Amino acid sequence: MNKTHKILAVASAIAFATGLSSQAHADVGVADIVGDQATTQDIVSYGLGPRGQRYSPLSIINKDNIKNLFPVWSFSFGGEKQRGQESQPLIKDGVMYVTGSYSRMWAIDIASGEELWQYDARLPEGILPCCDVVNRGAAILGDKVFFGTLDAKIVALDKDTGKVVWRKTIADFEAGYSYTAAPLIVPTDAHGPLILTGNSGGEFGVVGEVQARNPETGDLVWTRPVIEGHMGTLNGEETTMTGETNESWPGDMWKNGGGAPWLGGTYDPESKLAYFGTGNPAPWNSYLRPGDNKWTSSRVAINPENGEIEWGFQTTPHDGWDYDGVNEFVTFDMEKDGKTIQAGATADRNGFFYILDRNNGDFISATPFVKNITWAKGIDENGRPIWDPENRPGDPAESADGKKGKSIFAVPSFLGGKNWMPMAYSQDSKLFYIPSNEWGMDIWNEPVTYKKGAAYLGAGFTIKPIFDDYIGSLKAVDPTSGEIKWEYKNKAPLWGGVLTTGGGLVFTGTPEGFLKAFDEETGEELWKFQTGTGIVSSPITWEQDGEQYITIVTGWGGAVPLWGGEVAKFVSYLNQGGSVWTFKIPEQLASK
Amino acid sequence: MKLDARIFIAGLLVLASTVHYGLVQARPIDEVTDSGYITIFVYQDYAPYSFEDESGELKGIDVDIAKHFAESLGVELRFLVRGADENVDDDLRVNLWKGDLIHRKVADVMMHVPYDRELDTRNEFIVLMSPYFLEEMAVVTDTAVLPKLETFGRFMNKPIAVEVDTAGDFFLSNAFRGALHQSIRRGRTFDEVIDLYKNGDVPAAMGSKAQTQWIANQSPDVESKIFQPPMPGIVRKSWPVGIGIKHDSRDLGYALTDVAFGLIQSGEMEAIAQKYGVSFTAPEY
Repeated sequence: MNKTHKILAVASAIAFATGLSSQAHADVGVADIVGDQATTQDIVSYGLGPRGQRYSPLSIINKDNIKNLFPVWSFSFGGEKQRGQESQPLIKDGVMYVTGSYSRMWAIDIASGEELWQYDARLPEGILPCCDVVNRGAAILGDKVFFGTLDAKIVALDKDTGKVVWRKTIADFEAGYSYTAAPLIVPTDAHGPLILTGNSGGEFGVVGEVQARNPETGDLVWTRPVIEGHMGTLNGEETTMTGETNESWPGDMWKNGGGAPWLGGTYDPESKLAYFGTGNPAPWNSYLRPGDNKWTSSRVAINPENGEIEWGFQTTPHDGWDYDGVNEFVTFDMEKDGKTIQAGATADRNGFFYILDRNNGDFISATPFVKNITWAKGIDENGRPIWDPENRPGDPAESADGKKGKSIFAVPSFLGGKNWMPMAYSQDSKLFYIPSNEWGMDIWNEPVTYKKGAAYLGAGFTIKPIFDDYIGSLKAVDPTSGEIKWEYKNKAPLWGGVLTTGGGLVFTGTPEGFLKAFDEETGEELWKFQTGTGIVSSPITWEQDGEQYITIVTGWGGAVPLWGGEVAKFVSYLNQGGSVWTFKIPEQLASK
Repeated sequence: MKLDARIFIAGLLVLASTVHYGLVQARPIDEVTDSGYITIFVYQDYAPYSFEDESGELKGIDVDIAKHFAESLGVELRFLVRGADENVDDDLRVNLWKGDLIHRKVADVMMHVPYDRELDTRNEFIVLMSPYFLEEMAVVTDTAVLPKLETFGRFMNKPIAVEVDTAGDFFLSNAFRGALHQSIRRGRTFDEVIDLYKNGDVPAAMGSKAQTQWIANQSPDVESKIFQPPMPGIVRKSWPVGIGIKHDSRDLGYALTDVAFGLIQSGEMEAIAQKYGVSFTAPEY
């Protein structure tokens, strides 16, 4: 609590010293982004600070008065385009910048809830996004807001008018690329601020890459492919190769190795490194690509000055389960055995919660955060999985005699112990709050499938809940021990991000449509509000004119409803929508 | 029923807005003839079945058959051209019954769908009809380097090109427990495969028989020959392809089956294939 007040005091002192008021429309500087967590009157980064802790020191709303939290306004995205809304809004000078499905963006006046402008990307025919038409949020710097569109482009808009300033191609959508993540803005000495993006695309043939651009012009500064054998660039010149050709890939398979860092990245102001998670390798059949297949299903730490990979840590070497390791790497200081460790945490699709040294990637610990994991018996002292060979999907070639191959049951399912939805870390409770799911999958070799009109060996799979009554599970995890302090069980799979606050609260939304608040220490549910459609986005909180606001974007969708099987029973009745809900404690109740 | 209703509602909304992609539903024959047009799906960049020539005109065996289909119904022909998804089941969903996530557009007929009972059974919203062409796997070789090809063992020390993530790629990657890994040159597109072969970078390329014949035709400077050596472990060495139709549009499928059968009987189908330098094998009924 003391710490919270101190941060608030510092923040308001800065505000006074620079003569800012909430009405002034100042440009966003890169220092504002780096220091975003401490300045509670704005949110100028994805994750409430580039470390991605999703922790706000604000305590105006707390355990005692949360019962008085009511909606101020609701804003509809309109149109017939009601699909999954996974966006985290940004807040600056009384204006909310929020992205929506189908690559749309709005600026909303927070005081009135009225629209200031709307931008609709004109999407070409021929884009086939694999997993819904979501967008996860924007970035802001200077007088511009930036976001990526489904046709794999990045757009810079004038933040006051919504007019396009520049528009650049991240990758060719016709080759299977897309873009859905929030871009990341980082400071550098060599180039000034840079805007960093990964890429998306599940098809065989894509190669994961992180790109850095000049936010003023959109011009490329450096590129860093995450698959070994590919060359990076800096200022248009080739620099270094990622890894060494054929170190962990056979033949020419590295050329199409996959590994798309589709969830974007985080940045630590102390280590000065940008952290990106990378997707699963291609092709799906692991028997075709003996080796670790680096850097797929990994975290890579990139030096933003030159685009070099400082270190990589592979959570699922030689992935055979589609454990798409894009999960965010959240940096924090860990007090353990009387020492302060400069750490980072990541809750992987593969069901394990990893703590690494954020400076060099050294493995510290890994503990399961979902139940009944079968694909590995554990993680060894070097951070490598102890595979269970019985639970690797079989070699499809073995079923070439036309019979259905052997079936295995792998936990977690390919949608992961945790999927894209970001976790949160409280600087008060020192716990991580992980939105997870308890499910597994049957995988078998399909005797004959077809691809582009030709006979092919494929695999069939179906996702199954592990328990009869719930899939979703919000867990409070102690990073020093891996111990699960409390668990909230939710019938439908959780697919939205988490927020923690100095008020001792943990917020998350459910597919059933509730925004909920929990006691950070006990997990007791203290408050909920029904928004009318499923929630699969990340809540935010900020302060405006002495009041604390909470906002959540609503709209059921994302990858879950695209998969049938037994999970459909848990979600098929959920209705679509597309709105922004904003809450505060009404003036009449604020004194209590 | 519920699903149909949802698609129909989506259709109305699309019409109500300014988007003019036409009806989003695959339709029975009366609706097709009444509307005056038919939408037929063909794969993008899929020579010699469906591809754009240098002038941007859509050409190929499937394209020509589709022209006969439209002509027989006396309606205008519209094409829906898209790339392949992860498997044909996905393609059937996206192109025939559910539509894509963004524009919700579907076709009345999908060309080049493998005629396979299993595939038909597991896709309840579509029916497979009218097998019109027999696909076979084959290898084209540069006879200056490989005058004969008795076995794939030849590729232990000679490179072979194949389009990435295709049936041929899968077979080669698996062959002899991965022993050919170092010899496989994967083209990101079929055109890259043609270039590798045409430029003499590889003495062989694998694909469907029609594709290998097409590669040979595109490489006039190479003395080419087509081989079909034993393919241990291959899923299917040959299979028929036909059309896909939405399950409530069977009458359209029956009408087009008659057209396709007529083309085969009259020798027109063979003439279409020969136009692209491809030999025609009729599927067995």
